Amino acid sequence: MAEKRTGLVPYEYVCTRLRVRKSKLLAREDYLRMLNMSIPEITRFIEETQYKKEIDELGTSFSGIDLLEIALSWNLAKEYQNIQKIAPGDLKRFTQSYLRRWDIQNVLTILRGKAQKIKSGKIKEILIPAGELDRVILDRLLKEESPERVVEALKGYSMYPVLSKWLESAIAEGSFAHMENALYRQFYSDLIEEAMSGFKGGRNYLDYIRLEIDMINIRNMFRLRADRIQQDAREMAIPGGTFGVDEFQRLVNREDHNEFIDAVKSRIKLRPLLDMLETLRQEKSLRETEIELIKFQIQEMESMSKRNPFSIHPILTYLEKKKYEIINLRALARGKESNLPTERIRGFLVI
Amino acid sequence: MADMTLEMVQASQAGMKALGAAIAVGATGIATGIAEMSIGSAAVGATAENKDIFGLALLFVVIPETIVIFGLVVALLLLF
Repeated sequence: MAEKRTGLVPYEYVCTRLRVRKSKLLAREDYLRMLNMSIPEITRFIEETQYKKEIDELGTSFSGIDLLEIALSWNLAKEYQNIQKIAPGDLKRFTQSYLRRWDIQNVLTILRGKAQKIKSGKIKEILIPAGELDRVILDRLLKEESPERVVEALKGYSMYPVLSKWLESAIAEGSFAHMENALYRQFYSDLIEEAMSGFKGGRNYLDYIRLEIDMINIRNMFRLRADRIQQDAREMAIPGGTFGVDEFQRLVNREDHNEFIDAVKSRIKLRPLLDMLETLRQEKSLRETEIELIKFQIQEMESMSKRNPFSIHPILTYLEKKKYEIINLRALARGKESNLPTERIRGFLVI
Repeated sequence: MADMTLEMVQASQAGMKALGAAIAVGATGIATGIAEMSIGSAAVGATAENKDIFGLALLFVVIPETIVIFGLVVALLLLF
């Protein structure tokens, strides 16, 4: 693969910045401490960290869990937009393409909200403008009256062909699940194409995308097997990784759990993943399995970013770790709001 | 070469010494620059996120200066 260069770019600068930011993320001990706090205490605690600005800004308009949730979303969006600004050259291109997943999430949220006639203000509260579609574009989409108009407004964007193809059936069925699967399949195929287009660092980017596709496929296999739904699983599979679409279906349909683990292991080359899959041989709850797989993915990303310290890997590691920090804080706050026992909430945290 | 006078040989030796000294300082200067390029960008990045480490970052940036100092010492030994 011949590499195209876009000039001398200071990878060291941005990679080190993100390493420092990663070190400022909440530690395991912080979560354990927060497990014994009430929501106002958690809000005060995270106000002393990098969420101060958002909590101060929103403190006059919101309170309780709403304040926490919106502050977290704002912080995540701000952080991701900022990374896109500071990332140089090809790293910027890769970061932007990777963050397009948030566009899918935002557009689907808007479509689902519009289909269920939810007020724009309510939909807006849960949007995270971290991708290509910024706050202004999302506001424009929110002003549209129907899902059809929302899709029309996205003409020219890469997701438009998929949206227009699946919109009619999604509205008829009252479910956007098939559209969502198709959007993610297209998203990952675009990422692979981008990584293989010959830009410097594309090989590293491709390594990560393949890892992520594999982990998503394995996670989905566990989910489908836990649900025991006899349906065509092929559309849930994301091509481009280790598992082919038909193989994915075959693995999902395996009756015996041990056979399933053996079959997955026979296709995996990554030694740490093999060891991890062995631990999943004892049947665990789906939630525990998913958390284990996510933890493994983050650990693997950490080791990739150590192996390639000045590449896309440290950036992607930070993006993912930040995302899970937000997910953890949300789980914590929602658990506290619903008065769940501490141990139960802890089970939902990726720490 | 046989018809070179003593003065000519001495001048040539002095020239060679000067050239050696120039290469010693020049090459190590370039090497220091290359080394500091990466360390400097990383140091600025780290300092941008955490101002407390400015002193430490500066220390790391100047460590490759030792290379050019070695070059300078060699040059001085050659010349004097």
